[in-house]
Amino acid sequence: MDDNLTADQRMLADASARFAEQEYPMEAVRRRTYDTDGRFASSYQRGAGQLGWYSLLVPEELGGGSVSGNGVADAAVIGYQRGRLLQPGPFVGTNVVAHALAVAGSEEQRAKVLPALIAGESLAAWAVTPPPGQPAVNGAVLATPAGGGYRLSGRCTLVEDPGPGGWVLVTAASEQGPSQFLLPAETSGLACEPVESLDITRRYVELRLDGADVAGSALVGEAGQAAAAIEEQLAVASALLAAESVGAMDQDFTMVLQYAKDRIAFGRPIGSFQAVKHVLADTSLFLEMSKAIAKAAADRVGEHDGYGPQAASMAKAFVGDCGIDLAQNCLQIFGGIGFTWEHDQHLYLRRLTTDAAVFGDPAWHREWLCQLSGV
Amino acid sequence: MTTDMPDLEEYRNAVRAWLEGNLERRPDAEAGRRGSEDKTPGEIAESRVLQRKLFDSGYAGISYPRAYGGQGLTPSHERVFREESRRYKVPDFGGAGHVMFGAIGRSMLAHGSPEFLQRYIAPLLKGEELWCQFYSEPEAGSDLAGIRTRAVRDGDHWVITGSKIWSTGAHHADYAMCLARTDWGAPKHRGLTWFAIPTHAPGVTVRPIRQINGQTGFCESFLDDVAVAGDAVIGEVNQGWSVAQTMLVYERGAGESGGLVEPRNLAPDLVALARKAGRADDPVVRQALARAHINDYAQFHLGRRIVARLQLSDRPEAAIAAYGKLAAGTLSPIRARIGIEVGGAEALVWAGEDAETAARPAVGYLNGRMASIAAGTNEMQRNGIGERVLGLPREPSFDSRKPFSEVMRDARTWDGRVG
Repeated sequence: MDDNLTADQRMLADASARFAEQEYPMEAVRRRTYDTDGRFASSYQRGAGQLGWYSLLVPEELGGGSVSGNGVADAAVIGYQRGRLLQPGPFVGTNVVAHALAVAGSEEQRAKVLPALIAGESLAAWAVTPPPGQPAVNGAVLATPAGGGYRLSGRCTLVEDPGPGGWVLVTAASEQGPSQFLLPAETSGLACEPVESLDITRRYVELRLDGADVAGSALVGEAGQAAAAIEEQLAVASALLAAESVGAMDQDFTMVLQYAKDRIAFGRPIGSFQAVKHVLADTSLFLEMSKAIAKAAADRVGEHDGYGPQAASMAKAFVGDCGIDLAQNCLQIFGGIGFTWEHDQHLYLRRLTTDAAVFGDPAWHREWLCQLSGV
Repeated sequence: MTTDMPDLEEYRNAVRAWLEGNLERRPDAEAGRRGSEDKTPGEIAESRVLQRKLFDSGYAGISYPRAYGGQGLTPSHERVFREESRRYKVPDFGGAGHVMFGAIGRSMLAHGSPEFLQRYIAPLLKGEELWCQFYSEPEAGSDLAGIRTRAVRDGDHWVITGSKIWSTGAHHADYAMCLARTDWGAPKHRGLTWFAIPTHAPGVTVRPIRQINGQTGFCESFLDDVAVAGDAVIGEVNQGWSVAQTMLVYERGAGESGGLVEPRNLAPDLVALARKAGRADDPVVRQALARAHINDYAQFHLGRRIVARLQLSDRPEAAIAAYGKLAAGTLSPIRARIGIEVGGAEALVWAGEDAETAARPAVGYLNGRMASIAAGTNEMQRNGIGERVLGLPREPSFDSRKPFSEVMRDARTWDGRVG
C-alpha cells in the first residue's frame, strides 16, 4: 500500500505476509479452517499476537507499542497484508477495542482484558454505533439504569465473531448520551448468533441484547460521555478496514493482470486489446488512488492532527466504492472462469462488497463527512 | 561552476531586495494567480518590457546556461524567484510563457547546435523573440508522429507546407518550433525534423481559435511554401522524434503544480453554490458535495504517491506520471458536472454585478473537459499505463515499420486483415 515504509514497518509487513502465506493460505481460506477448527483458530491468533498485530495502538506502559511512532499507520501495514490473502478474524475490532481500553478502560479492564487482547489470546468485536444524531449503522442498542447497573436491549448485526472467550464493546444510547460497555461474549442476556453471510472469508454474528443486566464496572469511560470516543474509534476502524480492503483489491488486480497477459483469444493475449487494457488502466488508477487515500487516512488518524476522522471517512467511502468496482471489473476480464466456485475471484468480490458495508457504507460516510466539515 | 553558486537563502534575500526596488507590487487578490491564456497585444508588449528588465538584472533564464544568456543556477533558485515574485508584477505571457521557457527552450537546449543556441536563446530570454509550437496537426493529434506537414530541401533552403493546430500564443509569437516530415520513405518516427520558422515569414498564416468557453489562446496556422534557411534545423535532420520526446517530458512537467496544500475544506466553491441554490440540506446534493471533496482529496494524495514513487525508484518510471493526468482527465469533468447539478438553475444563468463570479460554475463546466483531451487524451494515458506501467502486451502496430507513404496508402484501403 505504501512504498515508503520505515525499516521496522518493512520487517513487520514481511513477517505478516509470510505468516499469512504459511498459516492461512488460500486453500485454508477456501476450506474455512479458521471457522471450523477452534484449536487452529486459537493457535493462529496467538501467532498473530506474537507478531504484534494487536499491540500497535496500545502505549508501551500498557504492554503495547508501535514500530514507527504512528500505531495506526503500522496496523494499516498489517491490515494491507492481511487483506491480500483474505485473512480471517476480527483484526480491526480487536485493535479498536484494545485502543478503547488503553484510552478509557478501567484499571480492571486494563489489567484483565488488555493483555489477553495484545497476546491474541482473546479477540474482540467492535459493535459499531454511529455518533449521536447520525443514522443507525447495522442496528442500535439502548441502555437504561437498572438495579445499580444497566439494562441493555437492542441488536447489532454484521459484527465479526470474537470467538470463544472473546469480548464485545457495545455502544448503547441512553438519556444522558452514549455509553460504552465491555462485555464477555458469553454474557447472560447477550446472544452472539452466527449468521450466514455473503462474505465467506470471515465469520459474522448478530448481537442480540435482550434486557441484559450489566454492572457499572462494565462501562468503558464515563456513562453517557462516549460521543468523542465513538468518533475516534470509528476513524480507527475505518482507516484499518480501508487498508484491509486495499490489500484485497491489490491482490485481485494482480491476479487479473496476469490473466490478461496469459489468456490468448483471437490470436493475441487479451491484454493487448484496448477494450481490456483500458479497463485495467482505469482500475489500476482507482487502485492507486485507493492506496494513496488509505495511507493518508491511517497517517492522519495516527497523528491525531484533527483531520483524522474526515480522512478516515473519506478513505472508507472511496475505497468501499472502488473495491466493489474493482471486483466487478476483474470478474468481467476473467470472464466465465470468474463465475466458478473453484476460482478465487468470488472470494474477493464477496469480501470487498462486505467490507464496503461494515462500519458504515460509503453513502453513510459521505454524509458524516459533510457534518464533520460543517456543511 | 560551483564557485559562484549562491546559497539559496542568500539568493532569496538578494531577490527580495531587487524586487522591492525594481518591480511594482500587485494587489493581494491577484498575487500568485496564473494569468488567463487570453492576452491582449498591449499586455504582451508590456510583458516584453518587463522580461527585458529581468534579463538585464540577471533574473531571466535563471536555470539556463550562462553561455546562452542564462544565469547558470539551479531549478531551486528559479523556484525561489517564483515564490518571492508572486506579489509583484512580473511578465505574464499566459499559457505561452510556460511553453516558451519550458518545453520549447528546454528542448532547444537539449538538441540545438551551439550556433543555433547562440543565435536564438538570448533573444528569447530578453523577450525580444517570443516562441510557440507548431506541433499538433488537424490530422495528427493523439498520433503525434503521424505528422503530414512536409519540408522539402531546395538548394540551401527548406520549403515547408502543411497546417498546424493548438499552438498556444502563436498570434503573439515571433518564431515557431515546427515539426515536419522530411523523409516519406522512412517509417513514421524516423522521417521527422524540427525547424525554427519566423511566424511573420511569407506563406505563414496564423489564426486564433475560439474555444467552447468563448476565449482564444490557441491558434491554427497554415504554411504555404514557407522557405526557411538550412541553419533553421533544430537537432538532426530526420531525428526529430527524439526532440519530440524531450519536449513531451517538459510539457508534462509544466503541468505539475508544486507546493499544493492538502485540501481540507469540503469543496468550498460547490458548497457555496449549493447554499446559494438553497440545496445544502438536500441529501442527494450532500452526497455529491462529499464525492467531489473525496475525489479532490484522493487526487491530491495520488499526486504525492506518484512523486514518492518517482523518487524511490532506481530507474524512474516516468510512465506512472500518466496516472496524475488520467485522474485529472477523468475527475475534472465529473467535478464540473457536480457544480452544475448542485447549483441547479443558479449555475446556468447569471446577470448583474457579480456576473463574473456567478458564471464560474458554467465556465468551469466547459473548461472541465479540457484535462481529458489536452496534452494527451485519456485514451492515450490508458494505453501508456497499460503498456508501460502494467506491462500489458502492446497493441498490434500497422504503421511503425513500413515507409510512412505506404502507411497512408494502406490505411485508405483498410480491411482489418493484417499478416
